[in-house]
Amino acid sequence: MTSIGDCLFPDELFYNVDTGIWARREADGTITVGMTSCACSMVGELVAYLPKKVGEHVERNKSLATVESGKWVGPVKAPVGGEIIAVNGAVAAKAAIINADPYGRGWVAKMKPANWDGEAAGLITGAGVRAAFEAKMKADGLSRC
Amino acid sequence: MTAWRLIDSGILRAAEHFALNRALLEARRQGGPSTLRFLRFAPSALLGYHQSAEQELRLDACTELGIDIQRRISGGGAIFMDETQFGWELYLDRADLGTRDMSIIARRICEAAARAVSGFGIDARFRPRNDIEVGGRKISGTGGVFDGDALLYQGTLLVEFDVEKMLRILRVPAEKLSGKAIADARDRVASLAELLGFAPPLDEVKARLEQAFGAEFGVTFQPGTPSEGELELYRAALPEIDSPAWINLVGKPRSDLPILEAAKKFPGGLLRAALAFDRPGERIRQAWFTGDMFVNPRRTIADLEAALKNAAGADVAGIVRDFFSTRDCDMLTLTPDDFIMVVHQAMAQAGPERTRP
Repeated sequence: MTSIGDCLFPDELFYNVDTGIWARREADGTITVGMTSCACSMVGELVAYLPKKVGEHVERNKSLATVESGKWVGPVKAPVGGEIIAVNGAVAAKAAIINADPYGRGWVAKMKPANWDGEAAGLITGAGVRAAFEAKMKADGLSRC
Repeated sequence: MTAWRLIDSGILRAAEHFALNRALLEARRQGGPSTLRFLRFAPSALLGYHQSAEQELRLDACTELGIDIQRRISGGGAIFMDETQFGWELYLDRADLGTRDMSIIARRICEAAARAVSGFGIDARFRPRNDIEVGGRKISGTGGVFDGDALLYQGTLLVEFDVEKMLRILRVPAEKLSGKAIADARDRVASLAELLGFAPPLDEVKARLEQAFGAEFGVTFQPGTPSEGELELYRAALPEIDSPAWINLVGKPRSDLPILEAAKKFPGGLLRAALAFDRPGERIRQAWFTGDMFVNPRRTIADLEAALKNAAGADVAGIVRDFFSTRDCDMLTLTPDDFIMVVHQAMAQAGPERTRP
């Protein structure tokens, strides 16, 4: 587990540093997608979640769901392209689960990637996580994530 | 000094404004200019992006009054707008703001807008999370949307306001339209016309907002219009937004957002709570306290209601106690626990479904 300030980044996940999204490769080749704890703390406690429909195809870096905190609405962007195979009913009822457990019960969608091997190369994982997020913070002029 | 663009769109249909929202935000994300936009609406009931028309609006009244219904791309609650209210928007990059913390961004923009309103000689202030108030009464509501590092933050300013029409259109916790409900609403909402005794010229409203945002961000504003590329994005967005499918994008039953009421007689007076309660999310969407209790200053009640907006049911006691611990107010024998009790009694009426997984 990598920690930067109050934010945690499990080492086994794949991250898009720019969008604050994580993906976990499951044994069957599907992925589970969610928001990083850092992204959650930036937007604040979430009060709404609206996923795209199961069966829809979403391109990489296109919105697979929207979330709302206070009065901010923002997209949760697909880390890779693929088909949405599940959305989180518990989060639909109570979006704050994403804040409470961003890497567990607060997952945003499950996807069947169209080209994981080709597109996952653009994601950061393992030992590169700390350097990538710290570089992003520096580029954004932030002292914390 | 850096110059940002100023677009004055005037009165358009809500669908056209929201297609412009999407176009200008996308353009900003692609490196387009930071922009201040002024706008006004034909009579419209405007849902927050994640809201359901059935839950938030009195649809029969909207039809009867010829009110257009639309869905914003930004968050927050449903509002009623017509030609007598004013809208402002900022399209920015987070680099313009020096932080990624969305609550800090909202505060900075709202405090600048509050200074613009205060320029009329009234004491307008930002009230978290997203309101601008005068004496506890809301004069401006705000909300935002972001995509990557680009963001759109928008607000209203009530130049004039028809409270009775608002109550007929929006499903607020004052469930029945009555003289009392209208009076209660007037305790919570203020307009420039009411506070000043006259409706100020719109040019003055615009000038004050332009000056305040310019001073806050250290920029000047250069009048402009959407570029051809932005108009292309607008034309692509309009058919989707100007459609029943968009307006009905979120459909939730009214039973999931009941108005729950409870009242209790305390030594300090009668206290009544009416809650718009998100039953599946176990969250207070909106709270109204009424009754014959004595509370001074009077704004305490409206401020407490603002503090409870979107509060998780489980957090009510902590929020109410924190609120009163930082306030100097006189309530005779009424106590913070009385408020907690009456809110809990109201929430208890959500029934066993409150514990539904």
